[in-house]
Amino acid sequence: MTTLQTSTPLAIEPLDLPARPAASPARAALRQFLRSPSGVIGLCLLIVLVLGTAVGPILYPVDPLDLVGGPFTPPSADAWLGTDYLGRDVLAGLIYGGRATLTVGAVAALITIAIGLTVGALSGFFGGAVDAILVKLTEFFQILPPLLFAMVLVTLFGQKLTTITLAIGAVSWTSAARLTRAEFMRLRNLDFVKAARTAGAGNAHLILRVLLPNALPPVIVSATLAIGVAILFEGGLSFLGLGDPNVMSWGLMLGQNRNYVLDAWWAVTFPGAAIFLAVLAISLVGDGINDAANPRLRRRT
Amino acid sequence: MAFAIHLVRQIANAVALLLAVLVLNFCLIHLAPGDPVQVIAGEMGGASADVVAALRAKYGLDHSLAEQLFTYLGNIAHGDFGYSYYFNEPVLGLIAQRLPATLYLTLCALVMSVIIGTLLGITSARRPNGIFSHTVTVFSLAGYAAPIFWTGLLLLLLFGSVWPILPVVGMTDVVHPKQGFSYIVDVARHLVLPALTLALVFIAQYSRLARVNMIEALSADYIRTARAKGLPEWLVIGKHALRNTLIPIVTVVGLQFGNLFAGAVLVETVFSWPGMGRLVFDSILRRDYPTLMAVLFFSAMMVMAANIVTDIVYRLIDPRIRTGRP
Amino acid sequence: MGALLQVESLNVGLRNGAGVVVPVIENLSFEVHSGRTTALVGESGCGKSMTALAIMRLLPEDFVITGGRIVLEGEDILSLSPKRMRALRGNGMSMIFQEPMTALNPLFTVGDQIAEVLRWHQGLSASAAHAQAVEFLRAVQIPALEQRVNAYPHQLSGGMRQRVMIAMALAGRPKLLIADEPTTALDVTVQAQIFDLLAKLQQDTGTAVLLITHDLGAVAELADDVLVLYAGRCIESGASADLVGHPRHPYTRGLLGCVPHLKLGQRMPAVWSDLGEIAGMVPPLGARGADCAFLARCRDASDVCRSRPQPMLEPIETDHAVSCWRKSEIAA
Repeated sequence: MTTLQTSTPLAIEPLDLPARPAASPARAALRQFLRSPSGVIGLCLLIVLVLGTAVGPILYPVDPLDLVGGPFTPPSADAWLGTDYLGRDVLAGLIYGGRATLTVGAVAALITIAIGLTVGALSGFFGGAVDAILVKLTEFFQILPPLLFAMVLVTLFGQKLTTITLAIGAVSWTSAARLTRAEFMRLRNLDFVKAARTAGAGNAHLILRVLLPNALPPVIVSATLAIGVAILFEGGLSFLGLGDPNVMSWGLMLGQNRNYVLDAWWAVTFPGAAIFLAVLAISLVGDGINDAANPRLRRRT
Repeated sequence: MAFAIHLVRQIANAVALLLAVLVLNFCLIHLAPGDPVQVIAGEMGGASADVVAALRAKYGLDHSLAEQLFTYLGNIAHGDFGYSYYFNEPVLGLIAQRLPATLYLTLCALVMSVIIGTLLGITSARRPNGIFSHTVTVFSLAGYAAPIFWTGLLLLLLFGSVWPILPVVGMTDVVHPKQGFSYIVDVARHLVLPALTLALVFIAQYSRLARVNMIEALSADYIRTARAKGLPEWLVIGKHALRNTLIPIVTVVGLQFGNLFAGAVLVETVFSWPGMGRLVFDSILRRDYPTLMAVLFFSAMMVMAANIVTDIVYRLIDPRIRTGRP
Repeated sequence: MGALLQVESLNVGLRNGAGVVVPVIENLSFEVHSGRTTALVGESGCGKSMTALAIMRLLPEDFVITGGRIVLEGEDILSLSPKRMRALRGNGMSMIFQEPMTALNPLFTVGDQIAEVLRWHQGLSASAAHAQAVEFLRAVQIPALEQRVNAYPHQLSGGMRQRVMIAMALAGRPKLLIADEPTTALDVTVQAQIFDLLAKLQQDTGTAVLLITHDLGAVAELADDVLVLYAGRCIESGASADLVGHPRHPYTRGLLGCVPHLKLGQRMPAVWSDLGEIAGMVPPLGARGADCAFLARCRDASDVCRSRPQPMLEPIETDHAVSCWRKSEIAA
């Protein structure tokens, strides 16, 4: 003991807790999110992609379905990213295609989460026979490989963007349902829920106002990831020739140019890279949200 | 004994679920826009008036829906999954021809992804903040986000034109057919790229999972006990931590089998692997509905089988399931 | 006869987020002799378990030994190669942990986890190791051995699990056995059984035991020598009967006051019999200054204590030392 200091055991300042006043949960979560590098990188990337598809047509006014030059023109000053097998501009395709692809992704993810939340919440909340039936239903959908099931649906019901979106939403909700069910079952037995029940809260109130807000954090993460999965599915369906031929999308570009990959690498590489970046951005954002929702987990790993 | 009962129950459950898939297929035929006979015949099968009449009689399309369902299930019980007018062959035969190639590809990718993914995850968990660990993290993010058909096309581009050291088309060398051992080598060479493409996305997922679980396992008390016993590090990791890391991976492998199979379909169409993928692709193009629905059924069957195998492996690894929790 | 284990001015620190090393254990010295039991006593967070892990050289990441020596049979443990260290662990010295449920691997049978020690350290074959494992389970008085050896940890009760841990620790026939709160996780009746078992096994094997506990009742019965730790510093040490009978440091007195039924055969001195608990908490890491760490909680603190650093551990009798400015007044 070389230095003499006075110890201050009564004014205990734990070392690793922030000394800021308590903020609202949402603000605290946002602050946590902005502290996660992957979340911030993902968000920036996502903003760039969304802005690109929104503002792109002003900066690069080319119709993606117009034949602007000969087929397989390599990237040049006229067509920055080259042209495809028909002579359509690849960059214009990326800009307009992004709108369709990102919309399909977002809407399909919404459908996925809506179905998953409903099934999972009812199953986890009521338990018993309701749970048994819904679990069987989930199990049934789980044994059908989602992409193949979506493929059958789109083949039968027509290659429209709406059909594709609905099909993707209809086949990929099982993991969201399982997650929600587990959360609801965990929460159902906690004291604050019992207290609300004792206070006379009805089932609808319990599900929507008491349990749902508490079950949301993991569901939000899963919803974010569902957007990425839906984008990959849109690509996969188009790649199998099931894209909507009348609406340009990243998947359609890939699907239509796949046979010419050795003649025109750009027509395949760029749309694929766009899908890759979009999914990457979304899963990074998902990671960031996850970190924000579970700061404890983050610190441990 | 308890295990045998459990297995029987599992198989019964599987049969019930597969029956449900058939009912779903039946419903889809009738829900689809247009005349069911068109769906059964396949739109571009060029079904003549005679054929249409014969199909109406065979599937009892003039009877009530319930009777039609029984007729449909009865046909399938006899192994009749319909007739592909495009391929001019019974659907069951088509599937039987293509299934083995798809199984090679799927199982090969499965084994690759589990082994490589676990190894990467474990190695990076040793130093969670080291360079290797960060590389694995970045790789697994990228591997997850890269569309499988796109990585396939990029590899095709790379090995097809830039650096042609591996075959990129088909399963065997058609120009110079091989015999015996060199045939096996030939198939293996053709398998490298499709299997790698398919495995990449799962390697990404399993390495991430293995990393998180290994870090968790390494902080467990029983690891400290193992070290306190003076066991060498390879035993501590390879025995005590590894088994605990494998449990969640086995679970996820089971859950992911459907995606693995669907991924195989996509990869096969890239590398012209003669499995179900090409069949699916052609069937979509020709609107060959009976084939597509049979593919859906058989893929569900494979997922079921995979689930049962997963369950058995899980029980082998985790005694708590076998012997009941306290 | 020399001591089996000598710990000399051991200092352990924790490297915090900012890279600063905060002291966890300061200048700790003690000895453990073959066939005898030394107890380390104190509340949670006083550095008892860290001392044990430092001796095993199994400190968690971020904990560093910043000074001192740990000598086992003349070998300085802190300078040994990792390989030599592994050979000592489980063999020269072994450890029983606090929580037998999590300290045993849930995925392997208890027989396997005991046999592992024998196979690795003594090179026994699988069957020989298994047979030996059964013998060790017999030694820790586990009934229905033949089934229990093939049981998994979750199939056993807490007391049985801790017996398995003890069998595992004894399997390498260690010269030093460190028992880190071996009974905390167990029912009271089982606690007594485990302590009896430890005492019997020590008699049979002549092992040196380092017992870490906050149970002063157990100390009175089992230990030969006692060290009382507070906030990483030894504040009182001595022969067990002497220290438990005549505690000098206010903290030790407080601890003894917390023991509900002390079987001493003596009446408690009326002065401190009313102490039911010690108010306050152990100061957290990083908030420990040079003055007496117990100051803020001490009923007997005076101006002397507040104006000077914590005193050295000074002998007041043979085999009884205390670190307190008011030791002579309190003794009176």
